[in-house]
Amino acid sequence: MDALQAIVGRWVSREMLLFLLVLVTLPIWIEPFGLYQYLGVEIVIWMIYGFGFNLLLGYSGLPSFGHGAFFGIGAYAFGLFQVQIFENLLLGIMGAVAASFVAGAIVACFLSHRRGIYFALMTIAFGQVFWFIAIKWHALTGGEDGLLNIPRPALEVAVTSVGLGSNVALFYFALSVLAVVIVVLWRLVHSPFGKVLQAIRQNETRARFVGYNVWLFKWAAFSLSAAIAGLAGSLFSMAQQSAYPDVMSLHASGIIVMMTLIGGGFVSFWGPAIGVAVYFLARDVLGTMTETWLLWFGLLFVLVVLFKPEGIAGAWQQYVGTGSHRRVASLFRLGRK
Amino acid sequence: MSQIIPHILNGLSLGLLFALIALGFMLIVGVMELINLAHGSLFALGAYFAMMIISPNLVWTGAVGEFWQAVPLSLRYGLAILVAPVMVAVVGMGLEFCMRRTYGKKAEYGLLMTFGAALVIEEAIRLVWGPSEQYLQVPQAISGAVLFAGLIYSKYKLFAALFAAGAIVLVWFFLERTPYGAIIKAGAHDSEMVRALGINLSRLRLLVFGLGAGLAGFAGIVLTPIWGLRPHVGIDAVIPAFLIIVLGGVGSFWGAVAGGILVGLAVGITGAYASEWSLLSMYLLLIAVVSVRARGLLGKKSALEA
Repeated sequence: MDALQAIVGRWVSREMLLFLLVLVTLPIWIEPFGLYQYLGVEIVIWMIYGFGFNLLLGYSGLPSFGHGAFFGIGAYAFGLFQVQIFENLLLGIMGAVAASFVAGAIVACFLSHRRGIYFALMTIAFGQVFWFIAIKWHALTGGEDGLLNIPRPALEVAVTSVGLGSNVALFYFALSVLAVVIVVLWRLVHSPFGKVLQAIRQNETRARFVGYNVWLFKWAAFSLSAAIAGLAGSLFSMAQQSAYPDVMSLHASGIIVMMTLIGGGFVSFWGPAIGVAVYFLARDVLGTMTETWLLWFGLLFVLVVLFKPEGIAGAWQQYVGTGSHRRVASLFRLGRK
Repeated sequence: MSQIIPHILNGLSLGLLFALIALGFMLIVGVMELINLAHGSLFALGAYFAMMIISPNLVWTGAVGEFWQAVPLSLRYGLAILVAPVMVAVVGMGLEFCMRRTYGKKAEYGLLMTFGAALVIEEAIRLVWGPSEQYLQVPQAISGAVLFAGLIYSKYKLFAALFAAGAIVLVWFFLERTPYGAIIKAGAHDSEMVRALGINLSRLRLLVFGLGAGLAGFAGIVLTPIWGLRPHVGIDAVIPAFLIIVLGGVGSFWGAVAGGILVGLAVGITGAYASEWSLLSMYLLLIAVVSVRARGLLGKKSALEA
């Protein structure tokens, strides 16, 4: 019994169950809050993207400003597969993941011996190359309009077939993908592989001197992260029923960095999820109040970078860790007197 | 062969303009080891400030604005090209002041901070001047077309290239022939030593950032009559700027100039054969050069690599 518990404990955690429980019930309570089902789909897809991205930013300390390219490649690959080859959900997703993995692996060959700012600059250059190709290669990508009328193929398991036409059905499909991604990534970052990545983040030279092939670890982290971005991209093209170059721009690539950082990707596994939720809630709540909500979100980002680079998760950890929640509680008691 | 010459000329003048965009970026990277992703937004801001001076919003300024509108355009333009960069420099100094908390941390924080600043400035421009395309008036004397060796050439592009060349020479003179330039270069080389010699380093950084931002604003005024003026025009400026710096080598003045001209030539010549794809050539050029020479063409070892 204990042995079983130990095995389960390596793959899942209490936070994970809580997190998934909140998301599983989301279609029930999202509409009473005045929001809409499609938002849930978007949030889950970007969470997949964010968790994959944080393997690179938070765990390996490699800031990629061109990750939108792989998200976009996944979206285009999925769309092209459905339209040009044949309609099949799982094969299409596998194709998208494979395409973005290959693209990421090739780019990573150029990047893996770089670090710091030079790494970031090269990711910008590569991101722009893919974005530019997506805009200009009309015959394949449909130019600035992108690929339109991408179907949402049904999920076929054994003999049953589940349609993903409704947003709630697509939400649960995306959520199950997210659950798999979280379990795999959680296991990965707590494995020796993940520990080496963290060692590289802390001190690359030392990691190399200890005897790790730093180049290979960085290459693997980048390719894997690109593949997960492609996975998210394939779901996104299903959600939007189209694929377009906007998601590949420097702006979009920067947004995922912002989300991951605001949430606290540097200190917590859950940082990206927090950041994604904050971003989309800010977009929908601030967006109804002001046209320039991005101005306020940008200001929030600047403040986070300046005063709390550990993000929301970091602030929470500090709050719990120093016992300030008890002090706040005592303040309230004082107030009542 | 003779057909390619106009494209080479075009590429050269474009290269000078690219070098002008990269100059301010180079100064900030060189001295502060900071990639200023807000460079493009400051570029756009310069153009918007100039537009505000040349044709002020009559609703806000009232009678003063109407009086000013009657002043000859060349005078208004002349004032704009002097004052608007100074205004951008002030904004840049404000940004540097906010940046101080990120010094001494990992270089990525500076990058993230300026990315956020770029977003904020762009949205602020959208808020103040609206999202639509506008244009910057230029005086009659430097617009229109000239005939040169049987080719029709835009007079403004010629003037812009001259402006760029002039600014490059001025910056070179400032860096190489004045005591201030010597201090700036020394600060880029070894900031600890400069501080030990009793020079106020934080004031130096403030000035360099102001100068870099001012140059970005100036480039914006020179270039937007060609590129058009919209809130996100900055992205078209910051990407070539950083490409050129990485290509030419971080912290190298002549590297930036050579990088700018190379990129301009690459874009100009590929434009002759595949105009759709011409901008792709600069990315491929960068990837090719940096794969072989990690520090760019003329770069020396930089702290940014660590």
